[in-house]
Amino acid sequence: MQHVKSPELATTVTPQPWWTRLGHALDRRERALPTMLLVPVLLFFIIWNVIPTLWMLGLSFYKWTLTSGRPEQFIGFENFQDIITDNSVWLSFSKTLIWVFGTVSIEVILGMLLGLLFWGSAKLPGRRLALTLLFAPMMITPVAASIFFRLMYDPTFGVISYIIAQLTGQAAPNLIGDRATAFAAVLAVDVWMWTPFMILITLAALGSVPKAELEAAEIDKLSWFKKIRYVILPNGKFILMLGILLRTIDSFKTMDLIFSLTRGGPGNTTELIAITLYRKSFEAFNLGWASSLAVILLLTAIAFTSIYLFVLNRKQAEEA
Amino acid sequence: MRKFVPLLVVLALLVSPTLTFAQGGGDHPLAGQTIDMAILGIGGWIPSSLAVDLATSQFAPYALENYGYTVNFTFQEAPFSNLFQKAATSLATGSQEFNIIVSDSQWLGALAEPGWIVNISDLIASGHPEFDIEWFDPVVSQAYQYYPDGSDTIWGLPETGDVVVLYVNKEMLLNPDERAAFSAEYGWELPATYEDWYDIDFDQFEQIAAFFTRPEEDLYGTAMQYSKEYDFMTMFLYPFMFSMGGDIWDPATGDVYGILNSDVNAAAMEVNRRWLNYQPPGALNYGIPDVVDVFTQDKVFSGFQWAAMGAGMIPPGTEDKYMVVVPPGYRMEDGSVRRIYSIGGQPWVINAFNDEAHMRVALDFLTWWYLPETQLAFAEGGGNPATAAAMNAEGFEDINVWNRAYKDMLTEQTARDFWHEPTYSEMLAIQQEGWTAYASGQVNDAMNTLNWIACQQQEILYDAGRTTTDAPAECENINLE
Repeated sequence: MQHVKSPELATTVTPQPWWTRLGHALDRRERALPTMLLVPVLLFFIIWNVIPTLWMLGLSFYKWTLTSGRPEQFIGFENFQDIITDNSVWLSFSKTLIWVFGTVSIEVILGMLLGLLFWGSAKLPGRRLALTLLFAPMMITPVAASIFFRLMYDPTFGVISYIIAQLTGQAAPNLIGDRATAFAAVLAVDVWMWTPFMILITLAALGSVPKAELEAAEIDKLSWFKKIRYVILPNGKFILMLGILLRTIDSFKTMDLIFSLTRGGPGNTTELIAITLYRKSFEAFNLGWASSLAVILLLTAIAFTSIYLFVLNRKQAEEA
Repeated sequence: MRKFVPLLVVLALLVSPTLTFAQGGGDHPLAGQTIDMAILGIGGWIPSSLAVDLATSQFAPYALENYGYTVNFTFQEAPFSNLFQKAATSLATGSQEFNIIVSDSQWLGALAEPGWIVNISDLIASGHPEFDIEWFDPVVSQAYQYYPDGSDTIWGLPETGDVVVLYVNKEMLLNPDERAAFSAEYGWELPATYEDWYDIDFDQFEQIAAFFTRPEEDLYGTAMQYSKEYDFMTMFLYPFMFSMGGDIWDPATGDVYGILNSDVNAAAMEVNRRWLNYQPPGALNYGIPDVVDVFTQDKVFSGFQWAAMGAGMIPPGTEDKYMVVVPPGYRMEDGSVRRIYSIGGQPWVINAFNDEAHMRVALDFLTWWYLPETQLAFAEGGGNPATAAAMNAEGFEDINVWNRAYKDMLTEQTARDFWHEPTYSEMLAIQQEGWTAYASGQVNDAMNTLNWIACQQQEILYDAGRTTTDAPAECENINLE
């Protein structure tokens, strides 16, 4: 069939039969259907993500405090400049990095160890119940978990403080009220909550290892370490890395857990960057400044994720 | 039956006005209507919930009887630190979601400046003299009514008054063995009566607190608030500053730098931090409920706490075990004791976006609220009224264990509020950060901390156009470290 190039030629083209035209129309409709199905999701995304993000971006160039009763004032990059030269922001940021490194490392190590144990105990009676119980912490909302631990850490009637007092023979410590122990005490709650997630990821990674390779490793009588090093890790690496990535992003955003436990205290001991952001937004109502900080955090998170994915993709490409 | 329906409707129409007149609300424009009112107040805060309880149990029948309308109250609540956020985000949209709000006194400027609340001065001038009320002391108006500071423009009406008082474990205090041991150790007698506490200064109280601090017995001398939440740390550091002669700003000029960062305020910070030695471990995170916990569980001999928390600090049936007294102060050169503590309490503010019906009910409610019998009912329920009529009524001091100390402390000489500026929240967040950092030992130079706070606050006020004084050039080099 020829394409119509000129009016003269057009007269020579044989008209398509009705069934062919119908077929084309259905094709077009088939292509339109996925687009139509995407529309609600896209609309939702635009209304709830794109517009607020753009709004936040715009606000970051303004000086605006909700309670001042004064109109917004365009100040260019002044908010960003203030943030970069603000010591307290750097302090919170450095604590956040320590927090992310601490929580993710411990959760990954513990999660992988426990995951391997569960994987190796497939025939153990009560395994399913144990798994269900183990996953319960990550299903609890962080605020509920923090209230729960706040009570357990309480020096007057908390069970954890009581046990420590019995073991040490000293007065019950206030673990979240003491500068020396607060950060570790809060970190322990996060580990308690999110280690099950890494167990789940480890089990998924182990499930992705081809049975044939595992059987071969058994036949070759590989040690546990070698089995992990040469069989499990190469196959399950992508899933594990995805788990680590998700935990890193989530850990970077931690706010509700700590806010309910210590409100960033005592002093600034547990004040992570998300709490600084909350304070500036909803305690000081300095929305321009807070938007600038939010933009910086967003860019930081994107940068970290991109670097991580770049490294992961490069390694995969090298291996391929 | 259906054929009687029109007849019944006609009869009902004929009878209903008769019933309304019989209820005394015939001339009220809302007579016969049902109005739903929403009050926004502080969650877990007895004076807020008590007011709504009274509104439901007493004002609703009162309104039906006197005005002929039915009113239903709902109580929306949020903790101190979130209440303003909840109110502001609603009011910023011009909503009448909350018809009446229990505001904190420091928010008056932030609520008034954008035009979100009713100007009560205008209301009084426009024919509502019932809101021109005689208060117990001028400090009541200064704290809960006026904005800008120093003016006499009224924006709020006191819902509850509040001051810091000292709760003391009387059983420990009056124990003969304890008293003998104390006088043997320090060479003077522990105070015994309410009157004895008038003459207790900071140094003497420190000795009392040190005496009762026995970690091996899980007992400590005192407890107060150091939490970073909202204004908790601020409210319990100011008493040291004010009593020792310090100040925080000049409301007339808007100057902070050079006033807040004074040697006397730095010394006050040192005393406030030193007193952590006599408090339970973890006191750095203490807020209002934590002090209640340790005091009611006899972990501390005394507790600095709001009078409004009296019902929590002294549970029913334990009134004989505790006493509530004036807190210690600073010994002046003439031998007198100067005590100036933070003022708490909250005013009612009226949503300026209320429609006519809700505005009318709000005014009826507030008129009823300041009736002497309502104010006394509020006091009997554990609240702290601030009208002269209620506080000067015979027997007021005996209604609650804390009433005498409350009355003694609610004066211009003993209680002081701080800024009512629209920039309040920003300024507060700065000093909460600085002072908690110092109290926790994260920074150790009190003067530098004050310099840093003063610089930031001066800049905030200047940027907001609230003062012509900008932060000085040396602020460029001052950091919280």
